[in-house]
Amino acid sequence: MLTYIFKRLLIAVPLIFGVLTLTFFIIRLAPGDPAAFFIQPGISPNVAMQIREQYGLNEALPVQYLKWLMNVLQGDFGRSFSRAQQPVIDVIAGALPITVTIAVLTLIANFVLGIIIGVVSAVRQNSFLDRFMTVGALFFYSMPEFWFALMMIILFALKIPIFPASGLNEIGAEGFGPFGFAMDRLWHLVLPVTVLSINGAAGIARYVRGSMLEVIRQDYIRTARAKGLPERVVIMRHALRNALLPVITLMGSSLPFIFSGALFIEVIFAFPGMGRVTVEAIFARDYPLIIANTFISGTLIVFGNLLADVLYAVVDPRIKL
Amino acid sequence: MNELRGRLFSEGCRVSLRLAAFCFLLLSVTGCGGGRGGASGPSAMDSTLVITSLGDADYLNPVIGATVTSSNIFGLIYPSLLQSSFDTTTGLLNYEALEKRLRKATGASKKPEAALARSWTFSPDHRTLTYRIRSDAFWDDGMPIVAEDFRFSYMLYGNPIIASPRQQYLAELVGAENGAVDFQRAITAPDDTTLVFRFHKPVPEYLALFHTSLTPLPAHYWKDVKPEEFRQSRLNQNPLGAGPYRLKSWKQQQELVLESSARCNLPKPGNIPMISFRVVPDYTVRLAQLQTGAVDVVENIKPQDFEGLQRAAAPVEIKTVGLRVYDYVGWSNIDRDEYRKSGRIQPHPLFGSAKVRRALTMAIDRQSIMDGYLKEYGELCSSDISPSLKWAYNNTIVPYAFNARKASDMLREEGWVPGPDGILQKAGRKFSFSLYTNAGNERRNYASVIIQQNLRAVGILCRLEVQESNVFFENLQSRRLDAWMAGWSIGLEIDPMDVWGSDLEASRFNFTGYRNPDLDHLCMLAKKKMDPLEAKPYWLEYQELLHRDQPVTFLYWIRETQGFNGRIQGEELNISGVFYNIDDWTLRPSATLAP
Repeated sequence: MLTYIFKRLLIAVPLIFGVLTLTFFIIRLAPGDPAAFFIQPGISPNVAMQIREQYGLNEALPVQYLKWLMNVLQGDFGRSFSRAQQPVIDVIAGALPITVTIAVLTLIANFVLGIIIGVVSAVRQNSFLDRFMTVGALFFYSMPEFWFALMMIILFALKIPIFPASGLNEIGAEGFGPFGFAMDRLWHLVLPVTVLSINGAAGIARYVRGSMLEVIRQDYIRTARAKGLPERVVIMRHALRNALLPVITLMGSSLPFIFSGALFIEVIFAFPGMGRVTVEAIFARDYPLIIANTFISGTLIVFGNLLADVLYAVVDPRIKL
Repeated sequence: MNELRGRLFSEGCRVSLRLAAFCFLLLSVTGCGGGRGGASGPSAMDSTLVITSLGDADYLNPVIGATVTSSNIFGLIYPSLLQSSFDTTTGLLNYEALEKRLRKATGASKKPEAALARSWTFSPDHRTLTYRIRSDAFWDDGMPIVAEDFRFSYMLYGNPIIASPRQQYLAELVGAENGAVDFQRAITAPDDTTLVFRFHKPVPEYLALFHTSLTPLPAHYWKDVKPEEFRQSRLNQNPLGAGPYRLKSWKQQQELVLESSARCNLPKPGNIPMISFRVVPDYTVRLAQLQTGAVDVVENIKPQDFEGLQRAAAPVEIKTVGLRVYDYVGWSNIDRDEYRKSGRIQPHPLFGSAKVRRALTMAIDRQSIMDGYLKEYGELCSSDISPSLKWAYNNTIVPYAFNARKASDMLREEGWVPGPDGILQKAGRKFSFSLYTNAGNERRNYASVIIQQNLRAVGILCRLEVQESNVFFENLQSRRLDAWMAGWSIGLEIDPMDVWGSDLEASRFNFTGYRNPDLDHLCMLAKKKMDPLEAKPYWLEYQELLHRDQPVTFLYWIRETQGFNGRIQGEELNISGVFYNIDDWTLRPSATLAP
């Protein structure tokens, strides 16, 4: 298995490099100018030229590419155009903890809720509960996140003001003490995590239900029941373990989501996470930041897939890598 | 088996207990958190004014800061040489030093105690401006504010490596006529309280004052920063100022907090102990927070939301400032393909005739657009000089009324007759085009649909296209669009040559390709006048020319509306800014501070 992992890692290097090179050229082909903000009445036309000079955009594209390549090989992704020339690594380091916090909480809630709903739906197949859950899951799954988030805000922040509508902390939260501060942060995360996890759990529930229905029709489940095992043990120990195999793949593919952020939720709840960083960088034509974000997303997708394959082999003895 | 069941049960119980504990914790936090008005004692909100903004500040440095939020913050952190005030009776900007004003104030006015300049003298040849600076003003670290700080700052503003967006202000200084300001001669500081600016040409006094009152930086604090590292310096996030507020904390893209600066004497520490600028990108959320009282100021409220705000839990007042923003439909006056290919200027096949453009304006029911969207917060527009600039506004011009029949007649006179499909035709060409606008502007989307229907009624086929803002702007700049809908926010000084100048290479924002030598001449004559009031006749005629030629269809002026929490007192909104006198604002104490 180690050889397999090593081979996959080796293949990943040119793959990620290729993705970055493509991104480098594609974003420069897109219309728009990083210095466009400085082209307006009352601002000297020299400013946009000076800004382009500073960003190194006046040089020929191959020269820009070579310079960029040399810097990236030394681990330097450059400085952001749109965020006060901060190193892009600092911009990402500022946004990542917020995104990871939301994403980890969301993923836990997603999988716990999704698995519970999926198992109950499968075990009680065609019952009222199953139909109710199936319809409910589809209802939430097909609901646009931004709309759901706005409805939650209107309901729980405006009509019944229990939760805050946006932000990570209350005004003056620094004075609450470390515990109070953490609780205040948690309180601010209730609405966004709820929106994200209800939406995501609905999808996972559909996977688990399908997989579970397939498993409980297998001979070894019949055998377990024939042995006289209680239904709970049959479901939890024999069926669920096998039914969760496809869910492991989902876990691997969720890895990029942890780091890339949930754009709509970050915009609506005013969280400065990775989703907002990426989209604002695209709108501002902030090339270094776009490339750095692509690097992170690309790397995580590659590693997420690798992780899913490895986990699959670990939990399923039939699969040999 | 029983053992297994027991274990499962006990595990289930443990999980349930943990969940219950978490829920209790959450509910207890929920109960004690959030908003003012709890009974547990004064909260931070009682002493904090919360202003929402769409985006964050970029640099807390007036030399390079470019966002709206940055500009709002500079005014609170940094001192200024002069104070400016907008006279609503004349529409003129006034510049004020401690002991001198450019113009006599027309109404009751406060002493401009925040100004660093005591007075100024302007040479009779309009080429030398000498300021006398007060000697009792200090930076936050206790160092005195001296004339050298201004000289040093202007050298930063003019340094091409730093690329300040305000370098245009230095265009009249000695040396600028040759491409680079000669700072040795252009700005001198003979002593700590004397500052001299020298111009290469005679400059009107108001313009000289406007262009020499850029915000200073403390020279002793910045002197070791190299120009090439200026934009990357950590000092940009840790400003040293002298204004009524100073930076307390800044969580980028989240919240920037200013605290009242106790040692400020320009003129005094801010009344409100803390001001928080919170980044809330989504409009609906900003509105919800204004309604719940979680924030105090939200800018650019849409008219359709006023009714909901009246019913809000928190008392909300809607305030407006003068008319600075207008929307228009741009028509390419010239054949843009021909111009781009050969540089030759020929009339546009559809919009090249002024009569056709006048007909298009008459065919559009601008009043309906205003009634449907802006209501009383819009005013018909007939040129780019705002009715708020009363001294220059031509109130004898009557905007073209909506008249589809007359528009059809005028189009027929120009040779446009209905074809078999009802669409106007001339020499085999249909009157059909795409109207472009930028994505994300609800007001323009609304207007464009009405415009499309209005034009269809006179036999013109108009397709609506929405483009991402960057793409739209690039297409405008490179004159790739035949018709578009956009808007301008005007400055308080009239300087229209960038938008209407006949030299299409020099006039960077003349997207229509409009050319009129008479208009160029009027602008030149007006700019030569040393007193703006003497230029009034030129500006009146200028508006008549624009009204006659309709290079664009001017739609409406927009009265921008701001939502204020009712607890704010003492605010005076002004066309020069919503936060014009923010250091004088106070917050009405909430129930938590009541005795």
